[in-house]
Amino acid sequence: MMWMTKKINRLVLALLVALAGCSGGGAPSSASDDVGIDSAYARATPPGARVGAAFMTLKNAGGTVHALVSARSDVSATAELHEHVHKDGMMQMRQVAKIDVPAGGEVRLQPGGYHIMLIDLNHPLSVGDKVTLTLIFDDGSERQVVAPVKQIGLGMPRN
Amino acid sequence: MASQSRWFRIFLLLFFTLLGMLAYLLVMENHQRSASPSLAAVPEGGDFVLQSADGPVSLKDFRGKVVLLYFGYTLCPDVCPTSLSTMAMALKQLKPEEAEQVRVIFVSVDPGRDTPERLKKYVQYFHKNMVGVTGEKKVIDDLVRRYGAIYRIVDDGSGAGYLVDHSSTIYLVDQRGKLVKLIPHGVTPESLAAIVREQIGKH
Repeated sequence: MMWMTKKINRLVLALLVALAGCSGGGAPSSASDDVGIDSAYARATPPGARVGAAFMTLKNAGGTVHALVSARSDVSATAELHEHVHKDGMMQMRQVAKIDVPAGGEVRLQPGGYHIMLIDLNHPLSVGDKVTLTLIFDDGSERQVVAPVKQIGLGMPRN
Repeated sequence: MASQSRWFRIFLLLFFTLLGMLAYLLVMENHQRSASPSLAAVPEGGDFVLQSADGPVSLKDFRGKVVLLYFGYTLCPDVCPTSLSTMAMALKQLKPEEAEQVRVIFVSVDPGRDTPERLKKYVQYFHKNMVGVTGEKKVIDDLVRRYGAIYRIVDDGSGAGYLVDHSSTIYLVDQRGKLVKLIPHGVTPESLAAIVREQIGKH
């Protein structure tokens, strides 16, 4: 009798797992569904500046890690993911292949750390302008966000 | 008599042990002092002549003023604007007659891309008391060395072209052209304004 209950239990469990798989389309939810974007802004640029930077907080409500792998903007020819590190007495800026957004966690793109570098600006970014950014994730999904242009004076954003 | 000489020997032993410990401590302290540069060790600094959009600029032109010197480049999307904003905000916190006694010199270590005209537009955006200069690489390299700054050109395949790693220190030069203080990256406008105000008061 005992072994039969065990077998039934196992069967039910297998069925449940299969069902859960079906309802999720057989794959974990996409990054564009899971990742929320908070307090996005772009930094106002001096006249003649070829480059700018955009910052934001990415929050992952899903159960799997997602990664931001590239970006586009409507104000620059290209956009790249960059990181600042303070090393060997120098501020070093490097292009990064991806920015991970941990499952159930967040990652901040902020001055002195990660940022989206806007390269070859069509025009200087002035306070009051809006920048539309398209974020592309490692699963191919995309999200758009409108980032207002702000004047920042300090290492930390002043929202 | 025998016990007296024994006490004397114990005393001598203690005396030399203590002397040895003292000597050891002194040596260690000196060793540590030489290992960590003291605050007094400010690089030599000194005069220079570089090019601005309005002609040559010499540090000698600013005798009687407090000068904040900064090395950077305009294709710097984050660190340089942050430092220039900090300096601009510090200037704005001073009284107008105090701010008039201060000049900021932004030295571009990227003369290949930063023309004097581009630099002028760039720095004037932050504050009117700022001047942007650059020049020949060998002149810049000599200046960078004398002020104890560092920079390095890196090509990591970015669409922006090469990038420049650089130290982000603000150099405080007094009214006689002497480098007096190194202010680290991340200083607040309030602290910077206080440092500048103190220097104005020393004149």
